Amino acid sequence: MIMQRKIKHLLYGIAVLLLVVAGTDLAKAQNAIDLRINEILVLNESNYVDDFGMHNGWIEIFNSAYSPINIGGCYLTDDLSNPTKYWIPIGDPATIIPPRGYVVFYADQRPARGIFHLNFTLENTETIALFDANGRTKIDELKITQPQKVDVTYGRLTDGGENWDFMEFSTPGANNDHSRKASAGEKFVQMDPYGIGMTMIAMFVVFSALALLYIIYKNIGLFFVQKASKAAKKDLQATIPGKHTKEEGMSGEVNAAIAMALYLYQSELHDEENTVLTIRKVSRNYSPWSSKIYTLRKSPR
Amino acid sequence: MGTFFDFIIEHISQFLQFTAFANMTFGHVIMICIGLVFIYLAIAKEFEPMLLIPIGFGILVGNVAFAPGFKIGVYETGSVLNYLYFGVLQGIYPPLIFLGIGAMTDFSALISNPKLILIGAAAQLGIFGAYCIALALGFSPTEAGAIAIIGGADGPTAIFLSSKLAPDLMGAIAISAYSYMALVPVIQPPIMRLLTNSKERLIRMKPPRAVSKVEKIIFAIAGMLLTTFIVPSGLPLLGMLFFGNLLKESGVTKRLADTAKGPMIDIVTILIGLTVGASTQATTFLTLKSVGIFALGAGSFIIATTGGVLFVKLLNVFLKEGRKINPLIGNSGVSAVPDSARVSQVVGLEYDKTNHLLMHAMGPNVAGVIGSAVAAGILLSFLM
Repeated sequence: MIMQRKIKHLLYGIAVLLLVVAGTDLAKAQNAIDLRINEILVLNESNYVDDFGMHNGWIEIFNSAYSPINIGGCYLTDDLSNPTKYWIPIGDPATIIPPRGYVVFYADQRPARGIFHLNFTLENTETIALFDANGRTKIDELKITQPQKVDVTYGRLTDGGENWDFMEFSTPGANNDHSRKASAGEKFVQMDPYGIGMTMIAMFVVFSALALLYIIYKNIGLFFVQKASKAAKKDLQATIPGKHTKEEGMSGEVNAAIAMALYLYQSELHDEENTVLTIRKVSRNYSPWSSKIYTLRKSPR
Repeated sequence: MGTFFDFIIEHISQFLQFTAFANMTFGHVIMICIGLVFIYLAIAKEFEPMLLIPIGFGILVGNVAFAPGFKIGVYETGSVLNYLYFGVLQGIYPPLIFLGIGAMTDFSALISNPKLILIGAAAQLGIFGAYCIALALGFSPTEAGAIAIIGGADGPTAIFLSSKLAPDLMGAIAISAYSYMALVPVIQPPIMRLLTNSKERLIRMKPPRAVSKVEKIIFAIAGMLLTTFIVPSGLPLLGMLFFGNLLKESGVTKRLADTAKGPMIDIVTILIGLTVGASTQATTFLTLKSVGIFALGAGSFIIATTGGVLFVKLLNVFLKEGRKINPLIGNSGVSAVPDSARVSQVVGLEYDKTNHLLMHAMGPNVAGVIGSAVAAGILLSFLM
């Protein structure tokens, strides 16, 4: 009964933990929810041309995940009261956006020209939104509050980042941030040219990880040693004459005597009925309690 | 008739141009000699034969000079060797080897005396010492990180990290790591003797206690969770290592454990050894950088051994009499399992024929495997 209650409590605990984790950003699955409206061009006179050679407004969608995402089935709209305004067709390989990749939709109100041609334009648009395949979950939304400039795109300063502004360069289907960036390693070495910082941090982390293991294992070990010594004490008490109440508490000596008797019987030496069996603890400096030594390869000659 | 003979001669000369003799360079000859030395060391001296035979033969395979364009070489897309090399390039083989290592490793020595874990951490100093030197020699940060891991004395970890940080140097790094691992019995003993006195070498350690099955199971699970929570980038290696160990210790997945530590690790060892060897084509391998990598590899092993031995001496300052650790097991903090533990045993027996250090040395030795995987994770997260 107590056990059942404990299991019940444990299950409740796990369920609560899962709910908490599910509510955090960290638990987000890498799916359509990772898509972002990344850059737009509303007034296109001499900027990027579509696959028909036309200048139209366009919307760039960025996959911020590290796995491919199929945008097919999602909806793009310029009207929040009509979230399913443009349904992105499914089944086309072109709708699969590679990890950290982009797709560009042309807002030319000519959906007959292909799946990337929307059924609305951006000239008078105040809002652009991307909805999930269920048509209800809003994945991302952009409110166009500033007057747009001709041939100047408006986008996130870094791909998937929070800050928006007019861009110096138009980058449809490419990284928004054109500034020269040092790699993580280069940045590290700029601050730590001799590697002393890396050594200190890394050794600290390695020591912390293994020290944590040490602390936990020291305590687990203590627990098991105490448990073993308690069990040994109990066994000892059970072997005291008059206190031996449980049959399963037979000592090693009794087992050895039975084994010896069986051996003698099987060897047909059962005539020796009054033999004294002496069991002596083997004392050796080295006890090969694990046979690993015998499994090693020979030392190199 | 004359035209026919011209045709025959033209094709014979074309054929001759395709032979390795026509394409051979001095570099190929040098690499073939290196491959032969590896094979000799493996067979005649029994230096890590399981590794040096596949790598040595792989060097021979990789340095048969051929005319490019026939999908033959390890670097030619679509060749058989290139497909096999994919597992190295993408870091697939090392975690599989770690699975096998986990399934064949008994962590009892470590569990019974957990403070030995810390020696495995101290010996990782070799990695970061080599990182500093590599930076000073002008290697880029990612190259320095990839080269430094040689000091972890762990071939799969070295291949895994270099495939991520510096794929161009992977052949040289892998060859260097495995060469020095084979030379552990030569490199470590002089350093151990130099850093210890006769009294320290005779320290007797308490025999390890018997460890229960439950403790071993908890170790596999807690070990994975703790280390990877701190360094998630070490997950492919550490996750597989502890998973393999759980297969072994659970006692209910004997077939899986047997496969992981038997046929599977053998197959992967063959593939990784042969393809890493074959990746040392003279045209890409014989460079000044490779020479630098070999020099740094030696340096990192020396620093790692020194770090481990000196750390034990430092630890002994705080330990009571009777609980002191023999500093001759400090070298085994580098993760060349079980060679460095065997070196502790051999050197220990030189000074006391009845002082067996092997089981004690296995503790830091397996801790070194964990430590080097954690160190690789740190380098990956900082430099990539």
